[in-house]
Amino acid sequence: MSGDLINALFLQILTGLQLGMIYAMIALGLTLIFGTLGVVNFAHGALYLIGAYCAVIIAGKLGFLYAVILVPLILFVIGIILERGLIQYFYDRPHTDQILVTFGLAIVAEEALKWIFGANNIPYPVPSWGQGIVMLHEYVPFLSGFVVFPKWRLILILVSLVVIGALFFLLQFTRFGLVIRSGMRDAEMVRFLGINITRRFAAVFGLGALIAGIAGVFGGPITQVSPAVGMKMLVPSFLVVVIGGMGSVAGALIAAVVLGMALSFTAEYSSIQQIIIYLVAVVVLLTRPRGLMGKKGVFE
Amino acid sequence: MSAMSKTSGGGRELLVIGVFAAIVLLLPFWLPLLGGYEALATKIVIWALFALGFDILLGFTGFLSFGHAAFFGTAAYTTGLMLKHVSADIIPALAVSVSLTLVLAIVLGFLTLRRSGIYFSILTLAFGEMLYAAVLSIFQGWTGGDNGLTMSTKPTLLGLPMQGLNVFYVCAVLLIGGFALARQIKRSPFGLMLMSIKENPMRLEYTGVNVMAYKMMAFTISGLYAAVAGSLMVVYEPYVATEFMHWTTSGEIVIMSVIGGVNTLLGPMIGAAFMLFFENVVQAFIGEQWKLILGAIFVLVVIFLPGGFIDLARRVRKAMGHMVPSRRDNVPDAPGSMREDRQKGRRADAQLGGR
Repeated sequence: MSGDLINALFLQILTGLQLGMIYAMIALGLTLIFGTLGVVNFAHGALYLIGAYCAVIIAGKLGFLYAVILVPLILFVIGIILERGLIQYFYDRPHTDQILVTFGLAIVAEEALKWIFGANNIPYPVPSWGQGIVMLHEYVPFLSGFVVFPKWRLILILVSLVVIGALFFLLQFTRFGLVIRSGMRDAEMVRFLGINITRRFAAVFGLGALIAGIAGVFGGPITQVSPAVGMKMLVPSFLVVVIGGMGSVAGALIAAVVLGMALSFTAEYSSIQQIIIYLVAVVVLLTRPRGLMGKKGVFE
Repeated sequence: MSAMSKTSGGGRELLVIGVFAAIVLLLPFWLPLLGGYEALATKIVIWALFALGFDILLGFTGFLSFGHAAFFGTAAYTTGLMLKHVSADIIPALAVSVSLTLVLAIVLGFLTLRRSGIYFSILTLAFGEMLYAAVLSIFQGWTGGDNGLTMSTKPTLLGLPMQGLNVFYVCAVLLIGGFALARQIKRSPFGLMLMSIKENPMRLEYTGVNVMAYKMMAFTISGLYAAVAGSLMVVYEPYVATEFMHWTTSGEIVIMSVIGGVNTLLGPMIGAAFMLFFENVVQAFIGEQWKLILGAIFVLVVIFLPGGFIDLARRVRKAMGHMVPSRRDNVPDAPGSMREDRQKGRRADAQLGGR
């Protein structure tokens, strides 16, 4: 293989990873909430949006590092309030009502933001330490010549890898994670053991919102910050969840990377790029109706 | 005895449709009294037709589609292209757009109806967005991309210019026909089958019914209503906006149906009238925030009045001390739901407290 080809391939994979990672962060929250609470949160895109807007304000007033710390906390609180204040009353209602109420919330959030900040995209400057480009050829041995990548996008990839890693650690190696995972499989059994699983599940909703907030802080400068972005991010994230298999964390991650790569490798053919993720979804659903890692019996 | 009750049932049916027809046909005359205008009447009638079809899918069959803009938009673009390039007469335009949408509905139904509940909603949303993206990119040469499809054609019906009240009466006649058909479907064994799918598709499957075929028919019929509405929208105003294809259109029809009250046929039409009235008349008083307020109304209806506006009458009667049947969930859960388990579980959790 010639050096140019390796360079191009490397860059496309990096771009695909970056595209996939934003979707992954939103989709992980969606799939966790679905897996534990059985609720499809149509307002999850709005949570991302709120995260991005909060980040713009806090970064502008206090500085970017404050935004990194405060926004996820704010979103966690919003998530808990949402779950305790509204969503919990919908567990006993039909699934369609859950979709409708979260959809309504998404509209209200979008329109409220439009009212406050206007319909246009508001500027979200990248902090000075994240600007510029990285000379990848200086760090990666098998690249030849001159290979550069925007620094902020690289930071986004790293941040999302850290977030996803932390989530995996939380779910796999802590007592909380153990309870959540067993609750996903059989909530009743966990209750018999004397554990208040409803309270843990509420925390999961907050956690999903928190991750959406982190995605908003770091993804905002790339996806832009305008009221329409919430729904724009939500649809591909839904596809990630469906392709990965509802309720499956690992599946969502794989699906996000697959969709990111599909987007990146079709970038030269823009009309195909527009619909490629849907085509991937069609193929996956025709061959594996349950999604890549969907479990048998989990919402079929 | 039974023959007599049958004829009286038929007479009642005629009366219902007669009253409905009178209300609809006189719409351009009584709407201005409420602050509306003539052209708004046409728009209300078109969206009411769309909402009727949506109720056959959501209300009867219990499938919440978030992708009906695909049918509405496809029909609108096809009609626009037919009027622009082939003939200014609306009959061939309607015929082609409805047939094309039929094919689309069968393809989309095949892809999305394999799953129910949440999956179905997400998949219809996704495929609707796919068509939107395709219209703006792949078919850009035909559809005019972001600008929408503009044309200078003046549509006609057998030489009659389609303007002003003419358009209204064409739409109104189609709406009345659509209403009569939807009522027939609701009373027929076919309609009963659809409502059984909503109640319990698995049991239906076990009794040897081809559930997929019925779901497909409901989806297709509902898509065709949307197609006629989409075509009429372009006849009413010879311009195709990209929004017709966008998820916001799908969202609007969902909002209309739910605030009006699903599975009642009248409810979604009332919802459509309410929403358009809100958008066009009330907007003048409250400005750009009408969408925010409408969204809030929608959320409040979903939370406190799941039966929609049409359920208000029942609640009022109940509050006045009349005996009325209790509300049933408009869209019950898919089978194998965890609802009861969850209810029990939460009670247990409440006893556990903070552990």
